[in-house]
Amino acid sequence: MKNFSYAILGVWLIAVLAGHVMHLDPNAIDLNVVLHGPSALHWLGADDLGRDLLARILSGVQVSFMVAMVVTAVTMVVGVFVGLLAGFYGGRVDQILMQITDIFLAFPGILLAIAFAAVLGPGLDNLIFALCLTGWVSYARLTRGQTMSLRNRQHVLAAQSLGATVPRLLLLHILPLIASLLVVEATYSLASVMIAEASLSFLGLGIQAPHASWGAMLRDAVRYMLVAPHYVLIVGACMMSLILAINLCGDYLRDSLDVRTEKQI
Amino acid sequence: MKWPFLFYILCLINLAACDRQVLPDNDVQNAAIKFAIAQSPLNLDPRYATDASSERICRLIYQSLVDFDASMRPIPQLATWNAVSAQAYQFNLILSRNVFHHHEPLTADDVKATYDSLVGLKDSPHASEFANIHHIAVQNQDTLTFYLKQPDAHFAEKLIIGILPKRLIEAGHDFSRQPVGNGALAFEHWQNQLRLKRVADGQEVVFHEVKDSTVRVLKLIKGEVDLIQGDLPPELVKYLQSQPDIKVLSTTGSNFSYLGLNVQHPVLSRLKVRQALAHAIDREALIRQVMVPDTRVAGAILPPEHYAGNADLRAYTYNPRMARQLLIEAGIQLPLKLVYKTSTDAQRVRFATILQAQMRPAGIDLQINSLDWGTFFSDIKHGNFELYGLTWVGIKTPEIYEKAFGSEYFTPRGVNRGRYRDATLDAFLLEKDWRSVTLRIHQQLPYIPLWYEGQFVAFNRHIKNYAPKSDGNWDDLATISHDAH
Repeated sequence: MKNFSYAILGVWLIAVLAGHVMHLDPNAIDLNVVLHGPSALHWLGADDLGRDLLARILSGVQVSFMVAMVVTAVTMVVGVFVGLLAGFYGGRVDQILMQITDIFLAFPGILLAIAFAAVLGPGLDNLIFALCLTGWVSYARLTRGQTMSLRNRQHVLAAQSLGATVPRLLLLHILPLIASLLVVEATYSLASVMIAEASLSFLGLGIQAPHASWGAMLRDAVRYMLVAPHYVLIVGACMMSLILAINLCGDYLRDSLDVRTEKQI
Repeated sequence: MKWPFLFYILCLINLAACDRQVLPDNDVQNAAIKFAIAQSPLNLDPRYATDASSERICRLIYQSLVDFDASMRPIPQLATWNAVSAQAYQFNLILSRNVFHHHEPLTADDVKATYDSLVGLKDSPHASEFANIHHIAVQNQDTLTFYLKQPDAHFAEKLIIGILPKRLIEAGHDFSRQPVGNGALAFEHWQNQLRLKRVADGQEVVFHEVKDSTVRVLKLIKGEVDLIQGDLPPELVKYLQSQPDIKVLSTTGSNFSYLGLNVQHPVLSRLKVRQALAHAIDREALIRQVMVPDTRVAGAILPPEHYAGNADLRAYTYNPRMARQLLIEAGIQLPLKLVYKTSTDAQRVRFATILQAQMRPAGIDLQINSLDWGTFFSDIKHGNFELYGLTWVGIKTPEIYEKAFGSEYFTPRGVNRGRYRDATLDAFLLEKDWRSVTLRIHQQLPYIPLWYEGQFVAFNRHIKNYAPKSDGNWDDLATISHDAH
């Protein structure tokens, strides 16, 4: 299963690169092949505008990866920064920052993202912004807890007594110790951001036509489930395989970084 | 061995349960007819009804003074009329039809009460249509006269509001949820599903709201509903046509789809640019591949069979090379970037994407901006657009040309949303020379005409006496029946 998930992830990463090399046009419309099934010309069939499904899936996965990477990077930086400050200083700073975090946590993340996307309007920039606004809280909570447990460690106190500044303490003495946890969290975040992007696009709040997005493709495909089942099955299978592979990779990464797992073996 | 065997038996029983619902002949004849609709009616008070479902059901529950024939000329429904003067119309009620569902007679007093109450309603979207009424005088039980503030040759054509009982109006009855009229169908019950009963023979009709088009189709095929009409992608219509137990009927429609232009935009104000846009759309290919059956190319808002229609208007052919040349002649630097606004409706976005692809070879870079309906329509009403796509639904009178293109009818007074100003057209409108009006509009292109969408209905084979109508109304529910054989 481990090798299988790595293989799936590898295939998708190659597909992203291949999409650039193959020069497929995901927006080329051919009304003569609307909703046609897989053929020699269109390996995965054609969509409701006669566009090549393979080209659109490859284009869609690039968008998904890009959105997931940007959102994960931004939310990680923001969340870690908030968590480090709250965990290190404690007291009033911790109270204020965590109350803000709790406000964001009080709403279901996807619902909040839908609300933001609806207010900001559809489009890729606004989609990324909406997902960033809601995605940082899990990093903040995780980092704060870890920082609180690390800030009184001997090496941190030693560095502090030697005159290390707060940024130096945080970046060189605390952050490296929680980096592995953050990397694992980031893999889960990648998958959840992909699902969130697809959900928002499914609702028409994400990427705008004619650009390809898996969520928007799934939304269109559902309408033609009776007449072109290949459309919804292919898009659904692609999405499922990629997200499953990322989640499994996250599991294996967590296991490999967890010292207790090694001891049990 | 025993448990797998039982499991298979249970599976078979479940599969059998998934089969079509089959009723005995007698039950079929007596059963209510179930009509699946995409959107439930919002308000069954004809003074307020604006959504398509409400308007179509109101036509069945109520009757109005005037209706329209096949060529959209006004004909008597409840009353005949004659113009006493340019500012006075006398109506004589047709006695044979005048009984409400609660068995009270319909008289001229009810007509006066209906229109008096309508004019007095500040929150009715229809009230402004009747602001020209000065007063209504009742001569006797069957005769009344409308006196107008200004002469209006089309006044009689506007009297299509269903007549309500005076006594119930005065009692503040809630017609929106418990309508009382004198139409072919009487209100029976409305909780989750709206249930009406035909006055003539007691046949019940139940309206089921099923928003998703795929689910609507599946319910029809499974026999959970008896008929569906419109609101399906063309692929699902073709799918239904291939089903042995389903009959699909279609007819040409009269609802006009078009591209609206902001003619005060520095680029779109040039006629050659508008002509280029008209030549950059392959309507035939669009209609052939992604439209429902019986869709036809449009030339003007009113179809050729309308008495104010013009059958001689020639459609703009798809010629991207000519379009490009026209843009160059207009002094446009290519590519010409234009923003096209549309709603988030999947079929609308589909059209927009095709238009974008078709216009590209002509040197037009169309940016699609799909917005939720509220934002989209607000932008259109406020003139905040370059290009947009919309459909005129249920238009009956040529007065629309004045409202949509007359120089004095910019929004909010009229619906001249593109702010088109043309003295020649205004003169034709004043003369009511509809042939010249339609020709001028076709040449000057304040709208780019697209098509009249076909109308269709799909029903189980045991249904008879129902056919689609050009404006998509559900009038045949007054005659629909089960065929036990």
